[in-house]
Amino acid sequence: MADALLADEPVVRDGIAIAWTPPAVRYSLRTRVPSGLPRLLASARFADGHALALGPDEWLLILPDGAQPPTIAPLHALTDIGHRNVGLTVAGDRAAALIQCGCALDLSLATFPPGKVTRTLYDGVEIVLWRTGEAEFRIETWRSFAAYLHAALALAADDL
Amino acid sequence: MSAFRLPGRGRIDVARPVAFRFDGKAMTGAAGDTLASALLANGVHLVGRSFKYHRPRGLLGAGVEEPNALMGVDRGPGRHTANVRATTIELHDDLTVETQNRWPSLGFDLGAATNLLSPLFPAGFYNKTFMWPRSAWETLYEPAIRRMAGLGKAPHAIDPDRYTARHDFVDLLIVGAGRAGIEAALAASASGERVMLIDEQPELGGKLLANPARWDWLAGALTRLDDAGVVCLSRTTAIGLYHDGFVGAVERLTDHLPPATATGPRERLHRIRAARIVLATGAIERPLVFADNDRPGVMLASAARTYLHRYGVAVGKRVALMVTHDSGYQVAFDLAEAGIGIAAIVDSRPDLDPSLKARASDLGLELIPHAVVIGTHGAKAVTGITLAPLGSRQVRKIACDALLMAGGWTPTVHLWSHGKGKLGWDEALGAFVPEGEMDRVTCTGACAGAIDPGHGVHAEALWSPRDPASFKAFVDLQNDVTARDIRLAVREGFRSIEHIKRYTTNGMATDQGKTSNLNGLQVAAGALGNTAPQVGLTTFRPPYTPTTFGALAGSAKDALFQPTRKTVIDSWAHAQGAVFENVAQWRRARYFPRASEDMDAAVARECRAVRTGVGMFDASTLGKIEVVGPDAAEFLNRMYTNPWKALAPGRCRYGLLLGEDGFIRDDGVAARLADDRFHVTTTTGGAARVLGMMEDYLQTEWPDLDVWLTSTTEQYAVIALQGPRARDVIAPHVEGVDLSPEALPHMAYAEGRICGVPMRLFRVSFTGELGFEVNVPAGHGLAVWEALWAEGQRHGITAYGTETMHVLRAEKGYIIVGQDSDGTLTPDDAGIGWAVGKKKLDFVGRRSLARPDMLLPDRKQLVGLLTDDPHYVLEEGAQIVDVPNAPVPVPMIGHVTSSYHSPTLGRSIALAVVAGGRARIGETLFVPMADKTHRVTVSEPLFYDREGARLDG
Amino acid sequence: MLLIHCPYCDEPRPEIEFGYAGEAHIARPINPDDLSDAEWETYLFVRTNARGRHFERWRHVHGCGRFFNAVRDTVTDTFERTYKAGVARPGEADSWTGDTGGIV
Repeated sequence: MADALLADEPVVRDGIAIAWTPPAVRYSLRTRVPSGLPRLLASARFADGHALALGPDEWLLILPDGAQPPTIAPLHALTDIGHRNVGLTVAGDRAAALIQCGCALDLSLATFPPGKVTRTLYDGVEIVLWRTGEAEFRIETWRSFAAYLHAALALAADDL
Repeated sequence: MSAFRLPGRGRIDVARPVAFRFDGKAMTGAAGDTLASALLANGVHLVGRSFKYHRPRGLLGAGVEEPNALMGVDRGPGRHTANVRATTIELHDDLTVETQNRWPSLGFDLGAATNLLSPLFPAGFYNKTFMWPRSAWETLYEPAIRRMAGLGKAPHAIDPDRYTARHDFVDLLIVGAGRAGIEAALAASASGERVMLIDEQPELGGKLLANPARWDWLAGALTRLDDAGVVCLSRTTAIGLYHDGFVGAVERLTDHLPPATATGPRERLHRIRAARIVLATGAIERPLVFADNDRPGVMLASAARTYLHRYGVAVGKRVALMVTHDSGYQVAFDLAEAGIGIAAIVDSRPDLDPSLKARASDLGLELIPHAVVIGTHGAKAVTGITLAPLGSRQVRKIACDALLMAGGWTPTVHLWSHGKGKLGWDEALGAFVPEGEMDRVTCTGACAGAIDPGHGVHAEALWSPRDPASFKAFVDLQNDVTARDIRLAVREGFRSIEHIKRYTTNGMATDQGKTSNLNGLQVAAGALGNTAPQVGLTTFRPPYTPTTFGALAGSAKDALFQPTRKTVIDSWAHAQGAVFENVAQWRRARYFPRASEDMDAAVARECRAVRTGVGMFDASTLGKIEVVGPDAAEFLNRMYTNPWKALAPGRCRYGLLLGEDGFIRDDGVAARLADDRFHVTTTTGGAARVLGMMEDYLQTEWPDLDVWLTSTTEQYAVIALQGPRARDVIAPHVEGVDLSPEALPHMAYAEGRICGVPMRLFRVSFTGELGFEVNVPAGHGLAVWEALWAEGQRHGITAYGTETMHVLRAEKGYIIVGQDSDGTLTPDDAGIGWAVGKKKLDFVGRRSLARPDMLLPDRKQLVGLLTDDPHYVLEEGAQIVDVPNAPVPVPMIGHVTSSYHSPTLGRSIALAVVAGGRARIGETLFVPMADKTHRVTVSEPLFYDREGARLDG
Repeated sequence: MLLIHCPYCDEPRPEIEFGYAGEAHIARPINPDDLSDAEWETYLFVRTNARGRHFERWRHVHGCGRFFNAVRDTVTDTFERTYKAGVARPGEADSWTGDTGGIV
């Protein structure tokens, strides 16, 4: 079934493109045994998708739409959050500058290189911020904050 | 060209005239002018009326230090800005400004009568005069004072401008782009570091802009900075310095443009985090304190130099100077060389620098040493001065049209002080300078006290042969504080400079003491018989200069004021004409009126539908936490009052959460999905708080437990079907679940599919009727809702909102945490002691339930109330008393927590907490309201279907 | 706005990501029933209210989610150090070795 939230056209400005990500399978993975998983604040390939380390014992798994739950051996907890989160990509030469409007982390390449991920805030809204390339970020937020976040980013892009 | 414009001087472009309106009068200036310089070029000195006495005032300065020339700038509807300094307003076409604080006009101000009555307005006059009778404050004194005083008008229309913000991260932030700041930037520019240089003025250069000999160097330096990638921001004021290298700065983007051409955001707030900060904020020249030193035409010497060199404007044709400091001489020499007449240089010092004397002599200037100005003359502009040799009564008058003051320099240490930097007294400067160290922050240039303008003396008010009580010598021009006021404050017993400041208002408000603090301190020190460093300085607070609310609010207005969380069904409710209410950050449908229904009619219809047919409710906002791990049951057992270990998978339980103090914090239903997995629900408003509390215990008290918590509030849309026909609505769409009462009884849980998508199904009821809560992945929520809505049409399905939900649950006496409980209610108080596991040895809050206070019989307990008048709905929050018409103070024994008209019962019902309430069931109590005292009968907090027979439809 | 060093993320992060969580090193009694009413009251309500060095709990709530401990000067509002939950209370400023106990 269609997800009405994700129907907006991408926002394109000079050096900036903001778009919803396609549907994905997402799990919150919790375990004390981080074997095969990235260390805190890092990301890595994982089971056809990615594992993003958000806490010392917490990973966000983002897998392709339709993926089956991954097999994980050690004691763990896996919780479906595929519909809780909504993803946005922010790409372009000014992507970092745009996110910097509402995010209080230093997004220079030296302190926030590609691959780094963390939970943080944008304009008071909790997000997961993942730098997927030098000029490309993925932002995940909870569904009910997504419209606000999208509007805030679009306005900031207008005024950048 | 006007008589005061000096051809060939200044950085302005006289070839580009700029038309503007000042108090409705059309005037012309030049590109590059400020409003102040353009007014002076037009011969206008009178620019405002003073705050308290409505005395005529002129320009004192040429920059942000200006205390007098506060303007209202009108850029169209909603774009009125009050209290803008004329010295910082860049002239542009269509600039429209009005002076403030005068009525009916600047030239003729009736308020000036207060000047004649000024003996009635001493320091602290508000505190003394308007104290009695108290009632007159609101009705008489305050409105009258507000009309007379105040700075500017607050705009009434909504500000249509946009404001933006960004975070900046730099290795080095330099505040102030004068010589020192630029040199610091040049020194760092080759390092490869991220360097940012900000300055409040439209042009970088600071006082170099008033020094043509340095313009070539300045241009070269700025080019080098640009080439080196240094970020240079003009029109950017550092308003505050905070911990850990954090500086707030406001960049003004459009105010300097004609309104018609201004696009984009008006201002940008920079939140700058810097590894190192260099404060190169310069120094401000100090005025001198003497009788009638506030007359238009009395200015800072440095300002006259700025007007001359930067704007090509003469501040007068015959200018006198009162100096206590060598720096005034250079100004006199520059003015003289520009052909401006110098009436005299009056210097309080007996012994003058021979080279200055020689230069003055060469230029033919009259130099009067060891003398002081003791008064000024003129009505709305200075026409002359009176001076006297120190210690002598042999006064002399000199005609002039401007009087310049050179009283030395005060380092601009505001930002240093914001960061709690220490200050030390520099005797040679007669000022406080930064002292000691501050993490990340250093000062340089004049801000650090590195000023070499020659020597000077620094005293309090200038000597006068007249009785100091007989004249006004202003210390703080903006707040109309005189030396006499400060001395009076000391006489009245104020000792601390902070108290003197507040009593006299010296250095307060938008000015932040830029020109007044040091002089005020010196006067106070003199009166106290102390030295200035012993008396100390008042605290500077952000913002350094007035800042728009817009800049601070940024984009947080209208739809972006804060997130409005909407469920996936919100759009459907909106299309159905739902009336919404806000619950925490959520927007929830409150009721669904049809045609001309009001809320009561809609709620009555919705209630009847649920009780007799089927209703449909969006419960998606309920907090949800998935609790997973082998110790999940153990963890819940420790958190909640109820026992969880024996709960079988496929069953639900009402859970009650206490704080460690034993009071109710939250509640909700939890289902055991599997041995190691629970789906826990919380109240809508409590979701984040409960998860945080659980994480706290899990991480810090019981880190050995193998269990993890995940918020799934937004993973699922929750559709509640409530009413005797609820099963009929979902049955055709459900796969894989036996919905029969035997297979899925009340408080059972099952997983299956609905409308082809995965479903978590709860057989629960918050209405007392047969109920199901269908949880589906949120992205499918709207489609499932619409399918069930369509299915329900033949069963007369009715959508209901939170108001009906409240009424239905109140009829059943189900509490809402936070409405019927207030943080002082125990489970027993709430009548839900049954939810406390009696055999459990421990859970959060259990120990507190055994405290003696928790066992008292007269604790407030939840009861029902039935009014004698069945049509009267009690007000929620209304107090309850035992005896009507008792003498005040009447003992209050409780209050109404929930109150509604019950369509089911055809009468009003209420829940309340009443001291010893359960023992009072059947008794009559009273609820006094403004109109009358209402009789109520205490009842069980359960009004409908006591047996619970309807839960099975 | 303060920068707070999260001992789990091991980097300074802006204050807005954190939540304050009261005084540190007040462990919940293993068996609350063993406490007298007075002792329980002390556990519930009595706090140091320090002027100066204060041991307190914070949570990196909008970051890694972990609760941790900190020593902060309540007069200057500066953080002396932060350390992971479960690590013993550090002594005076000059005797601290910076060992966070290796707890992950």
